Amino acid sequence: MESAQSEPPLIVEPNLSIREVLRLLQLQASGSVLVCRGDAVLGIFTERDALKVMASRADMSRPISEVMTAGPATIHRTATIGDAIRLMARGGYRRLPIIDEQQRLVGVIKVSNVVNYFVEHFPQAVFNLPPQPNVVMQEREGA
Amino acid sequence: MSQSAPNQAEKIQGGSKIVCPDCGHDNLPGADTCEHCHQSLTALSKPKASTAIEKAIFRDTIDVLSPREHPRVSPDMPVGRVLELLVEKRVGCALVVEDDKLVGIFSERDALMRLNTQAALLADLPIRQFMTVSPAALDLSTKIAFALHKMALGGYRHVPITADGRLVGVISIRDILSYITDRLAAPAGG
Repeated sequence: MESAQSEPPLIVEPNLSIREVLRLLQLQASGSVLVCRGDAVLGIFTERDALKVMASRADMSRPISEVMTAGPATIHRTATIGDAIRLMARGGYRRLPIIDEQQRLVGVIKVSNVVNYFVEHFPQAVFNLPPQPNVVMQEREGA
Repeated sequence: MSQSAPNQAEKIQGGSKIVCPDCGHDNLPGADTCEHCHQSLTALSKPKASTAIEKAIFRDTIDVLSPREHPRVSPDMPVGRVLELLVEKRVGCALVVEDDKLVGIFSERDALMRLNTQAALLADLPIRQFMTVSPAALDLSTKIAFALHKMALGGYRHVPITADGRLVGVISIRDILSYITDRLAAPAGG
């Protein structure tokens, strides 16, 4: 699981305002924050939740804990990438917090990490492609 | 499994020798022609797909992901209305279309990055000002490997799909994920 994990997730306190959280996401160019108390994951607030807040023109001074998705699906650190993919596909999740034996947060796995993980496992198939499909070289490249 | 299979694998991974299929001569790694019989060896160094998924992404076209219809909006639609539409339709992006041509795309990521806390203030401005202009589109007959290539390098989650230049829908990273999931259990060689 650790091999496909992304950079350390953003973590906020449950009483932080929606406004502060949105600014943080913009500043960090990130799509989600985990709402934690200590090491325990209380919820997740993603761009999907942000969209709902923005569309409904909700009061941005309310605490994030009121609009977060409480008790998100998590995955254990010893689980395989396959387990993570199945869980994501079944639940429609794009991010899964990774936890250890004591239910403490160790990281987050994102759907883009999973796809990149696959891409990196067959680089010949993906990275060696020309920028446009169906390109025919007139001359041989290289020596 | 045939006798030649392990030899084949050795060649692909840049093993210590390239055995000529015609005369059996041991050539130096990287040789283009056999030193003994001068037969071309270049065909032996072609990359070969090793897993079922790798084979599949070269065989299947975007067609099999069945691109989903996403909301199409005019560039003049107020951005607040587009946000509501995304929530209502439970999708991550809207296509901005003018005169039947794709001129932009607006995703939930764009909403977060460009509207942010100002969403209520900016709600009446046209989507034109916030969309990502001229997104890269792929044809329905493109192999899935290309869609992966685009998404991995561009960092996109949505790619608009066209057929004969006509917009047909969008494929998302989730479509790719379920495509991979479906084939994960499939044994190699399929």
